Amino acid sequence: MSRARKRGFGLKAYGFFVYFFLYFPLLIVLVFSFSPTKTIVGISGITLKWYQELFRDQNLLAAFVHTLLIGAGAVGIAIVLGMAGAFFVSRVTFPGKSVFRTLVLLPYILPGILMGISILVVVKALNIPLSPFTVLLGHVSFTVPVVMFQIMSRIARMGPNYQAAAMDLGATPVQTFWYVTLPMIRTALIGAALLAFTVSFDEIVISYFLTGTWMTLPVYIYGMMRYGLSPKVYAISAIILVLSLALIMLMSRYTGRSAEVYRVRLRKD
Amino acid sequence: MGERISSPRALLRGVPITIWMLCLVAVPLGYTLLISFFQVEGLQIAAKLTIKNYRQFFTDPMYSGILLKSILLSLAIAVLGILTGYPLAYMLSFRVRRGKQALFMLSIIPLWVSYLVRIIAWRTILGNKGVINSALTAIGLIQEPLSFLLYNRFAIAVTLTYICIPFVFIPVYTALEKIPRNIMEASSDLGAGEFRTFLNVVLPLSLPGLVTGFIFAFIIALGDYIIPQQLGGTQGIMFGNLIWSQFGFAFNWPFGAALSFILLAISVTILGLTSRFGSTEGGFLSE
Amino acid sequence: MSEENAIELRGVKKAWGDVIAVQAFDIGIRKGEFFSLLGPSGCGKTTTLRMIAGLEEPTGGQILLEGHDVSRVPAYRRNVHTVFQDYALFPHMTVRKNIWFPLKMRGVSLADARPRIDRVLRLVNMEGFERRLPQQLSGGQRQRIALARSLVDEPAALLLDEPLGALDFKLRGAMQKVLKDIQRDVGITFVYVTHDQTEALTMSDRIAVMKSGRVHQIGTPDEIYSRPATAFVASFIGEMNFLHGHRLPAEGEVPRAEVGGHRLRASRSTLTGTPAAGEEILVCIRTERVQVNSHRGTEHELQGTVRRIVYRGTDYEVTCDLAGQEVRAVVSAVDWNAVLHTGSPARLGFNSADITLFPGAEEKEIVQYSTEAV
Repeated sequence: MSRARKRGFGLKAYGFFVYFFLYFPLLIVLVFSFSPTKTIVGISGITLKWYQELFRDQNLLAAFVHTLLIGAGAVGIAIVLGMAGAFFVSRVTFPGKSVFRTLVLLPYILPGILMGISILVVVKALNIPLSPFTVLLGHVSFTVPVVMFQIMSRIARMGPNYQAAAMDLGATPVQTFWYVTLPMIRTALIGAALLAFTVSFDEIVISYFLTGTWMTLPVYIYGMMRYGLSPKVYAISAIILVLSLALIMLMSRYTGRSAEVYRVRLRKD
Repeated sequence: MGERISSPRALLRGVPITIWMLCLVAVPLGYTLLISFFQVEGLQIAAKLTIKNYRQFFTDPMYSGILLKSILLSLAIAVLGILTGYPLAYMLSFRVRRGKQALFMLSIIPLWVSYLVRIIAWRTILGNKGVINSALTAIGLIQEPLSFLLYNRFAIAVTLTYICIPFVFIPVYTALEKIPRNIMEASSDLGAGEFRTFLNVVLPLSLPGLVTGFIFAFIIALGDYIIPQQLGGTQGIMFGNLIWSQFGFAFNWPFGAALSFILLAISVTILGLTSRFGSTEGGFLSE
Repeated sequence: MSEENAIELRGVKKAWGDVIAVQAFDIGIRKGEFFSLLGPSGCGKTTTLRMIAGLEEPTGGQILLEGHDVSRVPAYRRNVHTVFQDYALFPHMTVRKNIWFPLKMRGVSLADARPRIDRVLRLVNMEGFERRLPQQLSGGQRQRIALARSLVDEPAALLLDEPLGALDFKLRGAMQKVLKDIQRDVGITFVYVTHDQTEALTMSDRIAVMKSGRVHQIGTPDEIYSRPATAFVASFIGEMNFLHGHRLPAEGEVPRAEVGGHRLRASRSTLTGTPAAGEEILVCIRTERVQVNSHRGTEHELQGTVRRIVYRGTDYEVTCDLAGQEVRAVVSAVDWNAVLHTGSPARLGFNSADITLFPGAEEKEIVQYSTEAV
């Protein structure tokens, strides 16, 4: 019995080591954002200096806003296209469906450098200047698969063909969508939107290829990394860390199986 | 009912997504392929078909050498990812009773922390004046900072493994959770110890998830260029950097397109393996 | 015919490419009728129902509802509703909201709809369940709510697609009575799809028996049972013996056949034309009509041997060998004398009134079904 305990302990110890490995770097970033010096040895106290510098950096603040705008835009488009695409692939039969699905999924799973370059060469060939529009285009390439596949997963779990039942009972396609389909995929849609937004918020590679002078936050930070490491970077990193955590907490309420349980508890009408 | 093609009216519903797919996937990738057969003349890209770019890649050992190096390093990173991610998933799936959901979240969170932030963190840890060196110096273990930590392939490996762990964890965990617990009981009931049960029951049943995780990690590592650029130093040039430079200083877009296409071919082939040998569930899109 | 019919199908067919799911046929369903589409899986009955509902577009022919051609009218504009096998109650709505739905689509407010909702809930005996969610209901209860939802706006007809398929045996029997009572009380036309012949026989006013997209027969349960039009119908309903025989020239109006050396007179025959030499036919008689060692006299008496006896509670199924062919007889437990056992000689009695002749070519259409519940 004690041998099993020991073996179990070994694995658990390794597990906790991995968790430590995962979180130590994040902790470092947090610590350094409050430290006046760049070395950990001489922790000479806590300072908010870097955060203050952060908020005085107009370019950085602008980049942050740009990122939010791109995120909102890319997610908005993804919701429309992704929902339509999800129902199309789930409910309609046509030849070559698996190829089609793979093609849609491709921008999300291929290395960003491939998608970034591919869209860049097309944009250049069409003489479109690099602008917020091209960045948006790049983001739409991967937000759509995210939303579409999340919705498809929800549709697969949906069960009976409620749409057919609604139409049979007298609902026009628009009414069916509004009163039956949308409420049923609402949580999956929100979760997918949050997921897509998170991916878009952090995206660097594709954005870098398609950006002109109008930068998103990751592009700006990347610039900071290449041309001088001011501790401002830690401050903005810490903020992004906290934001990401908040987003993922929010997301967990809307995606996955746990979300269903949560929703049922809320229902009261 | 499944084999018959739906009515034209139903097919019309697929127009928006098809347009998107054509504009942002099919055309860009196709055009890249096309450009890879063009060549650079002076400062222009001449639309004359040639296989010069591919020939250059395959004949010049420098280029193919970089690809080979990258593939090997990516394989190593994928293995490291499995060595860290799999036991973690195993522990969570079989050893934890309460708080499984919370620990699962804990394993996923690093995935959503900004990629750049994580790179910055590792630069800080591994640098000459970084955390490790400062700590070791302070304790007195070393006089000079350890320079082998940063700006080499070691740093790339550590950081990329760090990035890949969640991508390995998710499919493996999903696969492990699917194993019916009574099979484990049956195995031990038939006399197999923990390790034998793992080897003969758990490992084979979780293989699709493992393969999926491995392949995801491999592709992420192979296609990455920022980590080699930031942490790799002079000896850390990977295939991604090679591609990237064609669109920067080298300004040889056709060549860069050819390299991209080679990367695409490798990625797609390997991804094809996932659907054959791996599992498509537990992909990071379904959780 | 047109004015009386609630639903009419004229030359309706459905094909997917080369595959023909429903061959062109005509059906007229009268107002207030309980009409069943009966047949094995894949016979096209569900497809036909979906075409009436508007969920499937016919490849050819016309569909008329209350005299109007609705072939091109979408489902949401037709005045018929479907009760699906999986009920399809909207999970995000309460029972009340579910039932309100068809009225809501017609612009009726919840307040105005209330009395109608209450009335239909009373009809299906589910008062008090207004606030429940579908997940909180049992199968039978969901069944009834689905029914209520389809009835609340008083459609011209109700289409039911094997609605009792998901229920267990006892519950199914109870629900059959409920459905029949409701149909009669409300007086609404029912089109009922099922593969269960007992269900069809007990509930329907008329039945259309289908196989492979073709309608074999339309008739009352009695007509279907006693005067099947084809060998398939004869085999699908009830228990039928199919004996191989040869056609004999008729005696005036009376068809005749030869089976295992015996000459038999039949009362019904679907054979046409003049008998050919050695023409092979099917000689059919219901299992419950075969007498075994009975003291009641019969027109024909044939000698056979008992092969198997199965006790079934209310009766015994006796399988006999007759000149190399198998004949099954059902003897009620009341009439049973325990003389018979395996291997004993059996005197099989046939009456010509119970014998039907079918063309030998129809043998491949035969479906052997057991009436025992699985």
